[in-house]
Amino acid sequence: MSVLNESNNGKELRIVGFLCNWCSYGGADTAGVGRFTQPTDLRIVRLPCSGRVNPLFIVKALLNGADGVLVSGCHPRDCHYAEGNFYARRRLEVFKRLLPTLGIDPRRFEYTWVSASEGQRWQKVVSEFTQQVHALGPAKFVADAPEFDVLKVCAE
Amino acid sequence: MNAQNKFISRAKLADWLKELSSRFEVWAPRKEGEGARSVVVYRPFEAEKGLELDRKPTESAKHTMFPRSETLFNFRRNLVEGAPSLELEEAADPAPRLVFGLLSCDARGFQIFDPVYNGSGTNGQAKDTYYLKRRSSTVLIVKSCSKVLSTCFCNWVGGGPASTEGADVLATEVQDGFLLTPVSERGAAVLDSSLLAATNSDMESAAADSQTKAAAALPAAPDLKESQSALLGKFDNAAFWQAESSKCLSCGACTYLCPTCYCFNISDEAAGYNGVRLRNWDSCMMPLFTMEASGHNPRTPKMGRLKNRVGHKFSYYPSLHGGRIACCGCGRCIKSCPSSVDIRRIVTDAIGFTETVGLKEQNNG
Amino acid sequence: MAIQEQLKKMILDVLPDVDCVIGWGPGPDPLRGSPFFMRKPEDVESFMAGPMAVQNPALFLPEYKGKKVGVVVKGCDSRSVVQLISEDLIKREEVVIIGFPCDGVLDVAKVENALASHGEPGEITAVEFSGGEVKVTLAGNTHSLKFDDVKADKCGRCAVPNAVMSDFFAGIAREASGVKDDYEDLAALEKMSLEERFAFWENEMSRCLRCYACRNACPMCVCRDHCVASSRIPHWISQADSTRDKLMFQVIHAVHLAGRCTGCGECQRVCPVGIPVLLLKRTLSKGVTELFDYAAGMDTESKPPLLTFQVEEATIKERNW
Repeated sequence: MSVLNESNNGKELRIVGFLCNWCSYGGADTAGVGRFTQPTDLRIVRLPCSGRVNPLFIVKALLNGADGVLVSGCHPRDCHYAEGNFYARRRLEVFKRLLPTLGIDPRRFEYTWVSASEGQRWQKVVSEFTQQVHALGPAKFVADAPEFDVLKVCAE
Repeated sequence: MNAQNKFISRAKLADWLKELSSRFEVWAPRKEGEGARSVVVYRPFEAEKGLELDRKPTESAKHTMFPRSETLFNFRRNLVEGAPSLELEEAADPAPRLVFGLLSCDARGFQIFDPVYNGSGTNGQAKDTYYLKRRSSTVLIVKSCSKVLSTCFCNWVGGGPASTEGADVLATEVQDGFLLTPVSERGAAVLDSSLLAATNSDMESAAADSQTKAAAALPAAPDLKESQSALLGKFDNAAFWQAESSKCLSCGACTYLCPTCYCFNISDEAAGYNGVRLRNWDSCMMPLFTMEASGHNPRTPKMGRLKNRVGHKFSYYPSLHGGRIACCGCGRCIKSCPSSVDIRRIVTDAIGFTETVGLKEQNNG
Repeated sequence: MAIQEQLKKMILDVLPDVDCVIGWGPGPDPLRGSPFFMRKPEDVESFMAGPMAVQNPALFLPEYKGKKVGVVVKGCDSRSVVQLISEDLIKREEVVIIGFPCDGVLDVAKVENALASHGEPGEITAVEFSGGEVKVTLAGNTHSLKFDDVKADKCGRCAVPNAVMSDFFAGIAREASGVKDDYEDLAALEKMSLEERFAFWENEMSRCLRCYACRNACPMCVCRDHCVASSRIPHWISQADSTRDKLMFQVIHAVHLAGRCTGCGECQRVCPVGIPVLLLKRTLSKGVTELFDYAAGMDTESKPPLLTFQVEEATIKERNW
């Protein structure tokens, strides 16, 4: 799907998704099986649980050139491990408040809940988040980030 | 040296440094940070960002010669089918540098680096070309100190507020500018500028006066010739080091502000098959300094780390390098220590001075 | 100095039962005090409390785990002790807490800055406190400064001048000023645009020496020699001297302190190059207070908010997409 990408001169942005294995990863799969069209900016990293998401994953991604980060897990009360997403919710909510102080637009990071059956919801989440990140444009890069940068290597 | 002394007014100083910028990468101290947080650091000279020559620099000028992180070479693996190859690209030679306004103690610090890196200790076997290239292409304009701080002790270790050791030019504040005395041929060469004026006898005597006054303001120095044996004698005295190091945080503030701490670590940073080999400052106050590949760390208690720092400067280095103490007495490690650890106190305690010359009543915790 | 004398007496009483008592003593010059470890009765003579009691002695407690130690604490320091106990990083029964009413401590950098036009602050030969004044002798002249102008920022917003928990307390507990902490220190940054804030950190962090004094001076940074900053796998931080990596470390420090930081400000005070690293921790503390109405280090029984949860969070708005 290329419609969204036109907002950035047809270029994709780099969005990293941290998805829990049991719900959201399944939801993304359901969306794929259901052939729901989605923007292709998102790169998914599968984790056992949203409770596994260390806020440092997010900041590491953002400081290393990701334009957006999306965390998605099971709905509250539906965690495969009973309470992982409850901890994640508190942790991520607090972490989100650090981003503006760092000068990073907090809209570059969202966390949400999508179950394995919610293919359509997944399509909506990805589309809206991608749109939100595209509206912000590519993230600013730290001025003296070194030459051997992963991004530069990947770009080659 | 038969070159003439010169004078540069403060008003023309920036112009002179700009003129020198065509030949050198010029570094000079400037103020950074807001209000009470402001500090004086050595940065590449930018006229619009100003100079700070009245306050003593917070950090030493070490990084102008010995960067905090230095690229030794880049590497890249070419994945050609059947014949993969590794490509190495050496770091380019450094551009000639000129450091303006470093202190006498800072310049003497480089003299402590030299025997370690120029191969003199290994019959020329182990020469550090990265350091030596910079060393040989850098001009040092030392500003003599007119003020003595409570943490200054350059005279304990053979220096002085207007020492010319290691300097190419000595700048002494007179009237509304600086009297520039060439110390080396290289120094004389940079004084060839139409922006510099001739000196007069008033300036010359004012400069001599200020130098004498600063030297006299330093408290009398104790004799440290016993520090080598005294610190070795205390090597296994855990109680002594426990007491001296109780308040130490084992951070690297002292080593990284120190003009004479020359330790480094080499590591590769890579992404995929491509990367860079870096040389970074290291610090004996950090646990990784002694970490072995097996995961064993022979020096875990913080007292062992502090013992190494003090012992190295006042005992082990002198025993290898003709008795020269590897400390230049700038006092930054004392002034900026979060816990007020005082290296003077540790050395004099080790020697066993009951009443330390030059140190006011203080407790060492 | 009645309180100082009372404290000395308490320390002497405690000393036979403990490995050492940690407090404050004279430093390398009249402006600087120093953490002070008292092991023998004669050490106690040089003990100093009052405006020079700058450092947070709670920092050293985890090192002495398994031994009994005494510690003299200001109100802010006591919060660190409480937090350490509540996280089981030290044992309550292994520490003897001696409190006193704190009137605020000196910010050495502020004194130096206030007197910068009069000479090098390192030339200061005497410092005296009387009433609300600090009399500083520099280059032969005595200058009088208002203590309120040169006390630490944290003292201006202090709500706990007395130890929140103590075994012994010298003097009479001081009334808190009643000033509400409105996070005034964050205001300047909040006025900037996001781009300006990013540039602000780039500029500040470019000065960082990577000495890790901020980490090592933090009483809640208990990983010590096993910090993730030195881990190669995972590779959180590269060895390169880049602003990005240095900022990354500050984020690590702040995130690991979310809901645990007691705001003692030691990280910022000890920075040799004056980087305002406390702002990041204060941002998170503000968030934790707003979301969970929680302040770290006030009560050994309370659970840090990120170590617990509620099924329905009253203050967290669920996203509807």
